[in-house]
Amino acid sequence: MDPAESVHEAFRARVAAGEWPRAQTSALPAGLTPETLAEMFASQALSRQLDRTARFLQARGEGFYTIGSSGHEGMAAVAEAFRVSDMAFLHYRDAAFQIQRSKKLPGQTPAWDLLLSFAASAEDPISGGRHKVLGSKALFIPPQTSTIASHLPKAMGAAYAVGLGKRLEAPDRVLPDDAVIVASFGDASANHSTAQGAINAACWTAWQGGPMPIVFVCEDNGIGISVKTPRGWIEAAFANRPALKYLACDGLDLADTWQAASEAAAFARRTRRPVFLHMSCVRLYGHAGSDVQGAYLSKAEIEEAESNDPLLRSAGLLADLAGLAPAEILQIYDETGEAVTRVAEQAITRPKLTTAKEVMASLIPPRRTPAPSNGPSLEARKAAFGSEFVALDKPAHLARLINWALTDLMLEHGEIVLAGEDVGAKGGVYNVTSKLQVRFGSQRVVDTLLDEQSILGLAMGLAHNGLLPIPEIQFLAYVHNAEDQIRGEASTLSFFSSGQYTNPLILRIAGLGYQRGFGGHFHNDNSIAALRDIPGVIIACPSNGADAVAMLREAVRLAREEQRVIVFLEPIALYMTRDLHAEKDGLWTFPYAAPGAGSGIALGDVGVAGKGSDLAIVSYANGHFLSRQAQKILGEQHGINARVIDLRWLSPLDFSKIVAAIGPAKRVLIVDECRITGSPSEGLMAGLAEHAPQLSLSRIAAEDSFIPLGRAATVTLPSRDSILAAALGAVGGAARRRRSA
Amino acid sequence: MASKRTALVICPGRGTYNAAELGYLARWGADPAFIAMADSYRASQGQPSVSALDGAEAWKAGVHARGDNASALIFASSYTDYLAIDRDAFDIVAVTGNSMGWYTALACGGALSAKPGLALANTMGRYMQEAMIGGQAIWSLVDEDWRPIPGRRQALTNAIAAINGHGGAELYVSIELGGMLVLAGNETGLAAMTAAAPRGPGRFPMGLPGHAGFHSPLQSRVSERAKTTISVAPFGQPNVPMIDGAGRIWRPHMSDVRALWDYTLGQQVTETYDFTLAVQVGVKEFAPDALIVLGPGETLGGAIAQSLFGLRWLGMESKADFLARQASDPFLLAMGREEQRRLVTQR
Repeated sequence: MDPAESVHEAFRARVAAGEWPRAQTSALPAGLTPETLAEMFASQALSRQLDRTARFLQARGEGFYTIGSSGHEGMAAVAEAFRVSDMAFLHYRDAAFQIQRSKKLPGQTPAWDLLLSFAASAEDPISGGRHKVLGSKALFIPPQTSTIASHLPKAMGAAYAVGLGKRLEAPDRVLPDDAVIVASFGDASANHSTAQGAINAACWTAWQGGPMPIVFVCEDNGIGISVKTPRGWIEAAFANRPALKYLACDGLDLADTWQAASEAAAFARRTRRPVFLHMSCVRLYGHAGSDVQGAYLSKAEIEEAESNDPLLRSAGLLADLAGLAPAEILQIYDETGEAVTRVAEQAITRPKLTTAKEVMASLIPPRRTPAPSNGPSLEARKAAFGSEFVALDKPAHLARLINWALTDLMLEHGEIVLAGEDVGAKGGVYNVTSKLQVRFGSQRVVDTLLDEQSILGLAMGLAHNGLLPIPEIQFLAYVHNAEDQIRGEASTLSFFSSGQYTNPLILRIAGLGYQRGFGGHFHNDNSIAALRDIPGVIIACPSNGADAVAMLREAVRLAREEQRVIVFLEPIALYMTRDLHAEKDGLWTFPYAAPGAGSGIALGDVGVAGKGSDLAIVSYANGHFLSRQAQKILGEQHGINARVIDLRWLSPLDFSKIVAAIGPAKRVLIVDECRITGSPSEGLMAGLAEHAPQLSLSRIAAEDSFIPLGRAATVTLPSRDSILAAALGAVGGAARRRRSA
Repeated sequence: MASKRTALVICPGRGTYNAAELGYLARWGADPAFIAMADSYRASQGQPSVSALDGAEAWKAGVHARGDNASALIFASSYTDYLAIDRDAFDIVAVTGNSMGWYTALACGGALSAKPGLALANTMGRYMQEAMIGGQAIWSLVDEDWRPIPGRRQALTNAIAAINGHGGAELYVSIELGGMLVLAGNETGLAAMTAAAPRGPGRFPMGLPGHAGFHSPLQSRVSERAKTTISVAPFGQPNVPMIDGAGRIWRPHMSDVRALWDYTLGQQVTETYDFTLAVQVGVKEFAPDALIVLGPGETLGGAIAQSLFGLRWLGMESKADFLARQASDPFLLAMGREEQRRLVTQR
């Protein structure tokens, strides 16, 4: 017999026979009514019957995911302890939480909604058929697809955002000022660095008095797929963490769980400090439908888990403390099952996603109309810039121009919050955020701990409460330890919520090579392969300060109006660069366009230097800078008139604009400072071959190597001279081909 | 024995006992014990008996449509219809109602027994009649084929927003009624709306004579009076799930009785009654084999069908779809319609 069915039969038989574990106490805890107890049991029963039905549906080819909540239904009591507006980032075994919460909001239809999700129907109200996922806009449950607790950093960030949103009086804040965040996960994923990092960041913040109203709920069923959690490990690991209140409860017992969860919620709400709620529970019938527990658990162990069925314990409470007869308990359970069966038959008839267009409809969030702004006033600008105001007229380098643009943007949009390592008091490793903390305070320019996952989680969490985060990752190489926070979390939120949840943010990353021997690989990383394939993510990469100002403004517009996730990649080596061709020529400094001035750069707009048609050099960042040097020499010494195209936006590549910029040139040289494998040049070569097959294409890119120290730092990278040689080759090669034709 | 069909029972609201319904109780042999109790209760209140009203020579608006008479007549008709459902054929999985039909639903669902159920409907009808604050009128959101008129809801919403609170006008959405929007307002508000808002199809908008401005803040005095005079004591756990006018489900063993009393005399009286949502919640969470609409009358069918179209329930999106389904295998069984009543009651 299917293990789910044997648990089901055992439950019915034991309730009918009155063989439930006796209640541990003689009365319900104060504040918990028999009616609420019965309602929580009904949520448990619905969760359980949905799990059974998911298996039936899969057997019929009508359902696509059987991982369930059986054994974890005590989460109904956790839900009961919180308010609907306490945003919940849930473990995938928490159907009972969502069901119980739905009862606090009239008009909710949890059975129907979850069955649409099982059936992958386009009408599934949260993901639109894109995943079997818990989630609801109305219930403040953003969808989580994570299986490894990678939702914990943003939950931590959302908790921080509750306090910050209030402090900044953010007009678009979503969460009540006294909200508490709930974040749940399993005992196995509690070991994951992401979970550890998020909990650590919560403690680190609370330790120094920062707001962190969050309840981490660890659902400890004692096993992660097949690997057992060492007995006592969760308690030993979390009971004595700094600034973290530890509470434990028996997740098989609704009354005990409700009591502990209520205490956790009240503590977090009152003190704005984090709580770790350790809820013990069992996992019934394996990890998922295909998992055979007998391969790694003894028969006795499986039977022990089944004998600890939380629904049986709830039946005992209902009978012993709420006066329900066994027949009444079974009636609730059976009628729930019958309703689920009927609802499922309707749900599987609902429309499915059928086309790529339908699937992709929510990759890019819907547009919105934020409050209009007239820009910062002159007085406000003078006050913010202080003595630096008079310098705004003078051409400046990239780092300073970004700093000024950030200043004006933060003046204009009070919801912008900067966060990162050393961005505050120090003003960033390269002074890009210099003085911003003085200008806007430590609330809006947040010095974070050294943990990129937490920085990105903080940013996403801020966005969940209507703030506009501009997090900074100090060096490109550091993003890789946290890249799942972009890849698996930030970029997927709109997709898996049908655009209902979004986390617009602008992630500033200092990166790329050419730092004249300083720093080696970890400060000169030159690969963005891990970012450029992520659907929906925009990558901006300015080569100069004037462009950076306009592009940063466009990035803020994209985030505010189109709710996009934007990576803003800043070439470190060009931060302080002033000269292009010769010392003191000052050609790489640019005047600062005040807000509202300048022509602006829209997403996808490319820059074109020169009108030559002998060759088009397509590049970006340092490659563009070096190509401009080569362009001069090509013209002056070789009589070759080239145009140099600055891509500016590395993803998505807008080929209509790129081909238009190439214009009359027949030959194209792509110069890419990133490692050739996975570099933007791969996309450019392929895309131009498809969109403009008449072009003669060639490229140079960085070697597939890491960057060394010292004088060898640039030898794997394109240089002015190697660009020159490649350009001559491209033009000469074409000439040779013409001659031989 | 063939398995029972599951049914969601829907209790109608005011305006359903009209000239055609005169004699409804007598015609279908309404449960004599209940009628005796009802007549006795009405006598105790100094009101004409439901039997006498039902057996009158002629239907008179001034008598039968008055709140203090209509409520009792409709409650009696609906409740005795409920008792007449063949329980060997139907398993009732939930009950809901429209407007005052909520009071009937409370009795059908067992949260109130018959007498306090009747007393509640009767008392609230009387209070409304005595206070008679404001009125109701009904606009259509759909065309003659019951398809949404593009932009109509927005136009009505905009008009309400422009009128309410200006020049002494009060105007609120009273009932979401499938493809119709019932508005409650004072005279100024309803007159302004009638002048300003789009009209049609057919006779829409229609005033509802004898109706007060139910389900709106206009009734807050009635709500306060009810809360001081109607006790929570008769309220108890339902024995069948009940879906209220906010789409909330009140289930057996799980209902906070005081909250149920509070909703019934509070929010239900002073805020929008969302019948559309109640029907939609009912079919989505219970997926019944049939919807049984209690009598009197059969005017609720359109609103129910239009509520189902919003979900494309059973693939139905238009009046034609609905009529085809009703002709072949009726999903909606109206007890006020003889041929459908026979499918519901014991023959």
